[in-house]
Amino acid sequence: MGKFVSNNKKWFMGLAACLVVAILFPQVVRVRFVWNLLSLIMVWAVVGMGWNVIGGYCGQVSNGHSLFYGIGAYTVAITCQYWKIPPWISIWLGVAISVAVAFVVGKPLLRLKGHVFAISTMALAECARIIFVNWKWVGGATGVYIYTKGVNEYLYMQFKNPLNYYYVFLIFVVAILILIKVLDKSKFFYYLRTIKGNEMAAESVGINAAKYKNRAYMLSAAIVSIGGSLYAQFILYIDPSTMMTLNISMMIVLTAVMGGVGTVEGPILGAIVLTTISEYSRVYLGQYGGLDLILYGVLVILIVLFVPGGILSIFHKWSEKRHASKQGKSEVVGG
Amino acid sequence: MSIFLQTLYEGIINGSALALIAMGIALVWGVMGILSFSQGEFLMIAMFAAYYLNLYLGLDPILSLPFCMIIMFCIGYFIYKLIIARALRGPVLGQRLITFALSMVLINMALLFFSGDFKTIREVAISGSVDLGVIIVAKNKLVPFVISMIVAAFMFWFLNKTRIGKAIRATSMNKTAAGLVGIDSEKAYAFAFGLSAAIAGAAGCALTYYYYVYPSVGANFQLFGFIAVVMGGFGSIPGALLGGMIMGIADSLTGVYFSPSFKYVGICVAFLLIVQFKPKGLFGGK
Repeated sequence: MGKFVSNNKKWFMGLAACLVVAILFPQVVRVRFVWNLLSLIMVWAVVGMGWNVIGGYCGQVSNGHSLFYGIGAYTVAITCQYWKIPPWISIWLGVAISVAVAFVVGKPLLRLKGHVFAISTMALAECARIIFVNWKWVGGATGVYIYTKGVNEYLYMQFKNPLNYYYVFLIFVVAILILIKVLDKSKFFYYLRTIKGNEMAAESVGINAAKYKNRAYMLSAAIVSIGGSLYAQFILYIDPSTMMTLNISMMIVLTAVMGGVGTVEGPILGAIVLTTISEYSRVYLGQYGGLDLILYGVLVILIVLFVPGGILSIFHKWSEKRHASKQGKSEVVGG
Repeated sequence: MSIFLQTLYEGIINGSALALIAMGIALVWGVMGILSFSQGEFLMIAMFAAYYLNLYLGLDPILSLPFCMIIMFCIGYFIYKLIIARALRGPVLGQRLITFALSMVLINMALLFFSGDFKTIREVAISGSVDLGVIIVAKNKLVPFVISMIVAAFMFWFLNKTRIGKAIRATSMNKTAAGLVGIDSEKAYAFAFGLSAAIAGAAGCALTYYYYVYPSVGANFQLFGFIAVVMGGFGSIPGALLGGMIMGIADSLTGVYFSPSFKYVGICVAFLLIVQFKPKGLFGGK
């Protein structure tokens, strides 16, 4: 790990700088709405990074990740309601269930390609949604309340102050970000990129594509499940129509795509941009029935059309240009 | 037996609407390779058009069908020129997300302008029912079926016999080769997209005969439309027609004989199993 840090000194310094900003920002801007917004951004960042593993690095575009989002949320809610298990434990329970589900369904699903894979994952998520709607034990269509009176707010992650949520979520985001950064240069992720590039070629050089795709799917499910659990803890009430719809699945994809598919930091940028747009438009335009989502949709279309590489690609281009102009200057000086 | 036949009949009726949606999706998929999420919303717009034409001009949906198809064709053509043409230059994933965002915009525009209430056309020209002894045929449900079949036949004629239809098929087979023999692929794409919207428009117009009109009505047909296309062998238009029919029948039968609340689960699981063994669809070759 020490070697890893010293190899990526610049990146870790950047991370530390961003962290300082992230920690101080809500202390400066003391608005409750902004604090809530920041917490939501963290949730979407986790979910986006999770999807990115299978959809971005491995190129298997799943349109049904609301399945794992829902599993994470429901595990936390149900275990809290029936057995009073604190979320600090049940989040990992949700991860275990999600990974198990991903392991079982991954093998047959990942044999499919392209649009058919996307449609199959959608069908699977839809199945899960209908099962949850009709399953009385998990609250059915009315959903589950997580809020419990008179419990220790730190043990049960039910903070009165939204800022506490933000700091807890920030820890998760940073941990997952570092995990992805470590994996980014690992053999595993290079395998995934090869599979994305050309699965046949990957297999011909001895990469067991089915195995690594399934592993990527499991890792992705685990991270998205954490995101779902965090979101459930944040709003303290969940039901199938807010947790498991196609819209959620597509938002998960959007978050990653908007930031930059298959990049380490992309999904976080995507989460910042998308969540800010959607929350602010909801506040200012929400009363005109639907106008906020029209604006959101139009902005999404514009961003995807004109910045197809994601927001991160703008920064890359900009830094490349700067680099190039610097080189040009030094050449002139040298000449 | 009577229940079975009745269910089968209802299934075929529902299937005919699904078949039209699936044909539109298959056309866009086959020609441009886009998984179009906005197909259901084209249906919704046409339903609203038919509803308001009936409300203000007293036009029966059968009469407003040509108008709806022409309006939808123009909307589809315009959307292609405005958005899809640009999106086609970008990555595949971006195209899919754009059609999704588009469907979101269209749903919410309908919500903004027409409100979210459920609307129905009060009086349609053909109504009542005929008791055939074994089954009861509701006449107003027969109309969408007949219309769907006529539109489907028209589509086959159009794609196989007309010049622009042939150009669309040629472009879908090989874009470069089609370009080499002088086919304007841009025009063929725009026409194909407009046509897919027009088919959805016909389906929507016919559906107003017995279905409610509301902004998110398209979502009911979207996933099933996708599944129907995959079942029929993706991109194949006759396959999509058959796939849609099968989906409609399966939908009704599982609703009656399995469980109305879990019927979608049954269908989705059946779909996932079929795709495992026949990844190219029920009618697709090896």
